[in-house]
Amino acid sequence: MITAFVRSVGRYGLFCWDCGVSAWRHGVRWDRVMGEASKLGVRSFGVLAVMALFVGTNLAIQGHAAFSALGAQSLVGMFVALAGVREVCPLLAGTMVAAKAGTEMTAQLAVMRTKEQIDALEVMAIDPRAELVVPPLLGIMIALPALTIISIAIALGSSVAVAVWQLGLEYGDYVDWLVSNITVFDLTAAMIKALVFAVVIATVSGWFGFFSERGPIGVGSATNKAVVVMCIVCITLNFFLTTVLYG
Amino acid sequence: MAEPVIRFQGVSKSFGSKVVLQDLSLDIPRGQTTVILGPSGTGKSVLIKLLVGLLEPDEGSILVEGVDVATATEAELFEVRKQIGMLFQDGALFDSLSVADNIAFPLRRHTTLSDEAIAAKVAELLAKVGLEGIEELMPSSLSGGMRKRVSLARAIVMDPEIVLFDEPNSGLDPVTSDEIDALIGRMKDELGMTFIIISHDIVGTFAVADKIAMLYNGGLIADGTPDEVLHSREDVVRRFLKRNMELPPL
Ligand SMILES: Nc1ncnc2c1ncn2[C@@H]1O[C@H](COP(=O)(O)OP(=O)(O)OP(=O)(O)O)[C@@H](O)[C@H]1O
Ligand SMILES: [Mg+2]
Repeated sequence: MITAFVRSVGRYGLFCWDCGVSAWRHGVRWDRVMGEASKLGVRSFGVLAVMALFVGTNLAIQGHAAFSALGAQSLVGMFVALAGVREVCPLLAGTMVAAKAGTEMTAQLAVMRTKEQIDALEVMAIDPRAELVVPPLLGIMIALPALTIISIAIALGSSVAVAVWQLGLEYGDYVDWLVSNITVFDLTAAMIKALVFAVVIATVSGWFGFFSERGPIGVGSATNKAVVVMCIVCITLNFFLTTVLYG
Repeated sequence: MAEPVIRFQGVSKSFGSKVVLQDLSLDIPRGQTTVILGPSGTGKSVLIKLLVGLLEPDEGSILVEGVDVATATEAELFEVRKQIGMLFQDGALFDSLSVADNIAFPLRRHTTLSDEAIAAKVAELLAKVGLEGIEELMPSSLSGGMRKRVSLARAIVMDPEIVLFDEPNSGLDPVTSDEIDALIGRMKDELGMTFIIISHDIVGTFAVADKIAMLYNGGLIADGTPDEVLHSREDVVRRFLKRNMELPPL
């Protein structure tokens, strides 16, 4: 059990290394990378926007419920800023991208493995990692930080709307409380998280797809395992990142 | 026989405790058609995958044009593979690309040909496999036989020295199967390439083969011209052939 786990981690590490070597040797096709990034951005934007919208609203309501009774209304803005920017939005965007782009990548690679298309690439003397894994990997690394920033903006915006129209706070005061609690460091930290999540999502989904068992059952189980592992690894790394960045 | 273009020397391959190939040696003559026969699960596909470096042998060497693919660097392996075209069992066409883009794929990656030159080459190959004018179709809308033909066109688009066929007839009805056999026979005459065909289809096989090798229990039980194999005294060989064709008396 434990040795099997260690061996899997080792093989995963080797796969990541190989991807790096492939990218270095065969070059990166930036047109494909930008294509992947914009495809991912466009496809995930809608659902992420809706989720971020309602994350912002609820953070504002919870902050208000907790702090207004204490007469510490300024803490509402601080609460929304800290929770939203530092924790919720990076995770939210990461989870969305894992669920959409990650599963799609795993399923696609697993089908290609099943139908011998990955073998076909190799026989054509084309590196399948450089062709199939590196472009989406870099695409996710570009798109996820952007999506994280967008979701932060939307969540903060919707919290302002709720704070002013629903909770009756003063617009100028509330925005002041928000802005004074968000530093450049916070935004940088959110970007670092987004980049780490992007690498995890792309390499984990790539690994499970690339080495999937052949056949429809193999495709299904690869996709399933990839989602579980991506989510667990991301949430665990989030803890360590928060510890390192803010602890 | 001509100088061999491929030499398997003492090749062994196991998966876990399952021995698939054991101390196998086989020469593939240049410019001829070699057919590899054998019951299901004897390692015919493994043999081909070893040849293109998709699998590594546990022991032995596999020389392709003098390069041992078992110990070659990635760059050497890529050079070897550029001389090889392969027809996969189910075609292995890329689902997201049209027929034309599938065939053009290796050209786009390995040559600097213009778009017009590539389009002309694609049209020429489609004509050669009897499928003029289907450039814009997607693989999902092709029948099994068409998919194999397109895949064959893609396999020879780089004018390879060696073409590998993994069960070109599998999954096809007898009529389509005959058409594919005829197509392979024509290609063989026209192109002068080295063909290696893995097949169950014994009758069609004997028509195109210059050499036949039969795999059984990890080794070769027959290795010679079709005529020699027909007259083999080996019991398994006779049993394998008898199901499909009249054997000469011993
Ligand atoms: N990657 C692999 N991992 C483990 N076992 C394998 C692998 N590839 C092949 N085998 C095993 O090797 C044996 C030979 O397989 P192979 O696919 O070469 O048979 P085959 O002669 O091509 O059969 P068929 O005519 O059915 O295609 C089988 O028992 C198979 O289970
Ligand atoms: Mg096979």
